[in-house]
Amino acid sequence: MQHRTDVIRPVTPGAGGFRRLVCAALASLGLYALLFGAVLDRPLDLGFLARQLDDGLARAATIRGPKLVILAGSNGPYSHRCQVIEPMLDLPCVNGGVAIGIGQDYLFMRWRAQLHPGDIVYLPMEQQQYTVGRSATALGPDAAIMFRHDWPTLGELAPQRWLAALFAFDLRAGLMSVIEMSLVAVGFHDPRAETSGTRNAWGDHVGHTVARAGTSPAVLAAMLAPPASAAAIRDGYGAGLIAGFVVWARAHGVRVIGGLPTQLDPAARAGILGPETLVPEALRSAMPAVERLSATSRRATSRPEVSRSETSRPDTAQPSARLAAIEAVYLRHGGEFLLLANHSHYPSAAFFDTPLHLNEPCQIAHSIMLARALAPMLGRAALAPPVALSAAAAECPGIAGAMSLAQGVSLSAGGSR
Amino acid sequence: MLFNSPEFILGYLPLTLGGFFLAGRLYGTRAALAWLLVADLVFYGWWNPRYLPLLVGSVTVNYGLGRHIHRLTRASRTRAARGWLISGVSFNLGVLGWFKYADFLLHAAAPQAPALGIVLPLAISFFTFQQIMFLVDIFRAGVGRAGVGRAGMDREGAGPVGAEPASRPAVSALSYAAFVCFFPHLIAGPIVRPADILPQLEASRLARPVAANLAAGLTIFLLGLGKKLVLADTFGSFADTGFAAASHGTVLTLIEAWYAVLAYALQIYFDFSGYSDMAIGLARMANVRFPLNFDSPYKARDIADFWRRWHISLSRFLRDYLYIPLGGNRQGEVRRGVNLMLTMLLGGLWHGAAWTFIAWGGLHGLYLIVHRLWAGMGGRLGLRLPGPLAQALTLLAVVVAWVPFRADGVAATIGMLRGMAGLNGFALPRMIVGAWPALAEIARPVPVLLSLGDAHTLSLPEVSACLLLGWLIVLTLPHVHELSERARGWALTAGLAFTAQALFFAPYAAPFLYFRF
Repeated sequence: MQHRTDVIRPVTPGAGGFRRLVCAALASLGLYALLFGAVLDRPLDLGFLARQLDDGLARAATIRGPKLVILAGSNGPYSHRCQVIEPMLDLPCVNGGVAIGIGQDYLFMRWRAQLHPGDIVYLPMEQQQYTVGRSATALGPDAAIMFRHDWPTLGELAPQRWLAALFAFDLRAGLMSVIEMSLVAVGFHDPRAETSGTRNAWGDHVGHTVARAGTSPAVLAAMLAPPASAAAIRDGYGAGLIAGFVVWARAHGVRVIGGLPTQLDPAARAGILGPETLVPEALRSAMPAVERLSATSRRATSRPEVSRSETSRPDTAQPSARLAAIEAVYLRHGGEFLLLANHSHYPSAAFFDTPLHLNEPCQIAHSIMLARALAPMLGRAALAPPVALSAAAAECPGIAGAMSLAQGVSLSAGGSR
Repeated sequence: MLFNSPEFILGYLPLTLGGFFLAGRLYGTRAALAWLLVADLVFYGWWNPRYLPLLVGSVTVNYGLGRHIHRLTRASRTRAARGWLISGVSFNLGVLGWFKYADFLLHAAAPQAPALGIVLPLAISFFTFQQIMFLVDIFRAGVGRAGVGRAGMDREGAGPVGAEPASRPAVSALSYAAFVCFFPHLIAGPIVRPADILPQLEASRLARPVAANLAAGLTIFLLGLGKKLVLADTFGSFADTGFAAASHGTVLTLIEAWYAVLAYALQIYFDFSGYSDMAIGLARMANVRFPLNFDSPYKARDIADFWRRWHISLSRFLRDYLYIPLGGNRQGEVRRGVNLMLTMLLGGLWHGAAWTFIAWGGLHGLYLIVHRLWAGMGGRLGLRLPGPLAQALTLLAVVVAWVPFRADGVAATIGMLRGMAGLNGFALPRMIVGAWPALAEIARPVPVLLSLGDAHTLSLPEVSACLLLGWLIVLTLPHVHELSERARGWALTAGLAFTAQALFFAPYAAPFLYFRF
C-alpha cells in the first residue's frame, strides 16, 4: 500500500491559518448561541417542565392572603395532593414541585416573587437535591429553559450560570429540538396523559392509578439512588441553596417547613438492594414500562458530582445521622422541620413508577397524614378530608398502619426537635 | 492524561509546546528533545507513575539491543544479529504476554485458578509493537533486505529501502527515547515507522515554531477532538445501553440490537479516528508528520480494502511484520489462507485477551479468505459485484464482526446476534404503531424500547436521527485529511461549539476505546 502522511490533499495554511481558525471558532459559537437561544426549542420535554412551573406560579398569583406552597422535585406533585390538603387546613395550597433536575436556585428565584409574609412553604426535598453539585445544578433542564425563554431570571442568577446555560445544549439536544418542533408542527398527540396521568388545578399529579403503575421490585431497584452520607448532605451545594432560601424566607416573613420525600421503607429497600447499596446493573435494564418524555431531567439527575463511591457508602446503619443532616439544613437557618411518624416511608406496592412517586391512592393517604401533622404547627384545626378522596386513600397498601400513625408526628422548630 | 481533558488542552499542551520551542530557541534541538522527553514521561506517568519504570526499562533495553544488532550487522555477523533480534522480539512479547495474556492463558488452562490480578500498563501494546518494529528494521537494514520499510538507525532516513549504508552513525538514545515516548502516539498509536519519524525528530529545524504547522495541527486536533467528544461519546451512550442489556441477559428486539451495533460501529470509528487525528494534529504542531491512520474505512468496497483503510498503521505492521514473514502469498493459496487467518487471529488477540477478540479476528480472517476466493473465482468467470452492493456487503460484514468485539462475552454476543437476526421479535413504540397502524401487522407495540437510548417515548426518533447523521458523515463526506483548508474551517464552524460544550460541561470525560488495548 502506498504510504501516505497526514495530508492527502496538500493543505498549507499560510499566515491566514490562525485567522481562519479564530473566525471559525467565533462563527461556531455565534451560530450555536443563535440557534439555541432563538430558533431551536424542545416544546415536548422542556416545554412540559416550564409549563408545570408557570402554571403553579400563575395559580399562586391569584391567591390573596396566606397560602401553602409545596416545592420539591417530582415527588412534590406525585406524592402530595394540595386538593386534599387545602380543604383539610382551610388554606389555599399550590403544588409547585416540578422535577428533580430543576436547579433549586432557579426554582426559588421564580417563586420568591409569589411568596409573601404569612405564606408557608413545605419542602419535601429529595436526597439528590441536597447533594447535587454546583455544575450539575447549573446544567439542569432549567438552564436550557432560561437560555431559550427566561433571560430575566437567568440574569438574576450567579454569572457561572450564564455560561453553563449557554453551553447546556449538546448534539442530541439539537437533534431532539428539530424532532420535537417537527412533531408539534404536525400535531403530535402527547401520550403522557393516557399512560401516567396529568395535573389538576392545584398542580398535583393525578391519574397515576394503581392500574397504570409500572413498578416492580426490579424497576424500583433500577431507579433507586444509593443513600447519601450525612456529610454529603451537609456539605452539598444543593443543601446550601436550600439553606439560603430558608434564610431569605425568614427575612421576608415566610415560614419554611422542611420534610422528607416519600421513599421506600427500609425493609423494602433492603429487600431490593440487599447488603449492597449499589444498584445492580442487571436490573437497570428493567426500566419502568411507562412512557416518559422528560429525558432531560433524567440525564440531569445522572450527573452526580459526588462520586459514586462517596454516595454509595453504606450509610444505612446511620439513618439518624442522615436525618439529622437534613433537619439541620432547616433548623440552623431559622426554618422548621416536620417528621411524619412513618418517616414518609412506604412499601414498594405504594409506588407508581419510581421510588419517589407514590401512586394516587397513597398520594392521597400521604397528603391526609401531612395535613393532620401540619395543622397543629400552623395553629389550625385539621378538617376531614373530602369523602371521595378519603375513600380512594383506603386503597393504598399498608394505609391502615400509616393512617394510625398520622397523629404521631415529630415536630421540630427553632433548633429543637 | 486524556487528550480530551481540559487539563491536557489548557495546561499540558501549551506548557509542553511552549517549553519545546523555548528550549529549541535557547539551547538547540537536543535540549528541545530532552524537554519533550520529560514532558512525555510526565504525560505517561500522569495515569499511574508506577509503570514509568516499565516504559523506561523497555526503551532502554530495546535501545541497547538495537545498538548491539546494528553493530553486529555492521560487522557482518548476521547470525549473531539474528539471534539477538529473536531475543529482543521474545523479550518484548514476553513482557506484553505477561501483562496482557497471563491471566487469560492461566484461565484457559485452569479455569478454576485464582486470577493473578495483573493490571495492564497503559500503552504497552503500542510501545511494544513500536519497538519490535525498530529492532526488526535495524536488522533488515543491516543485512540489506529491509524489504518493507526503511531502517530506523540512520540519521537522515533518506534513500531507498534497505539501501542505507550500515556504517552511518546510529541514532542517539535521546532521539530514540523521544521517538518511542512521543506523547501524541505513545498511548494509542498510530504505530509509526522509526524511519519515518526519527529523521524528523533529528532535523535541525525541529524546534522552530512554524505558524502553518501550528495552525494546521491545531485545526486537525480540534476536528479530532470533536469526533471524539461530540460524535463518538454520543454513539457510545447508545451502544453501551444495548450491549449492557445483552450482557445482562436482557432479550433485545430487532431495532434495539441493530441500533446498538450500528451505534458501536460509529463510536469506535469516531473514537479511534478522532484520537488518530488528534495525534496527527499534535505531532504536526511539533513539526512532525504522522502517517494517516484512517481513510474512510466504511467506504471500502471489499474487506481487503477495509483493512487498507482501517487502523492503517496496525494493518501495515501486521502485514509487514507477521503476514509476510509467515510467507504471505508466496506459498500457494492454501498457505495464503492459513497466513491470513493466523495474522487476523493474532491481530484480534492483540486487541485484548479474550475469546471475543479472537472471534473478531477469526471472522475477519474468514472474510479475507472468502474475499480471496471470490476475487479469484470472479476474475476467472468475469463476475463482479456492483460497487454499492459490494460496499453494502462489506459494511454488513464489518458491522456484524463488531458484535463479538464489543460484547462482554460469548453469551452476550449470541444474544445480540439473535436480536439482530430478528429471533427476539420486532417491537416498536406504541406511539409509532398508533401513528401508522399498518405496522401492527409486523411489529409488537410496546410502551418504550427499554434497551434503546434513554428508554423514553422519543428515544427511537432521537437515536434514529443521531445514527442517520453519523452514517451520513462516514459514508458521504470526505475525512478530515481530504478536506481543503476552507472545508476544515466549515467543519470547525459546525462542530466547535458542541466540542467546547462537551469538553467543559459534559459530566465526565470518557476515555478512548483504544486505551484499553
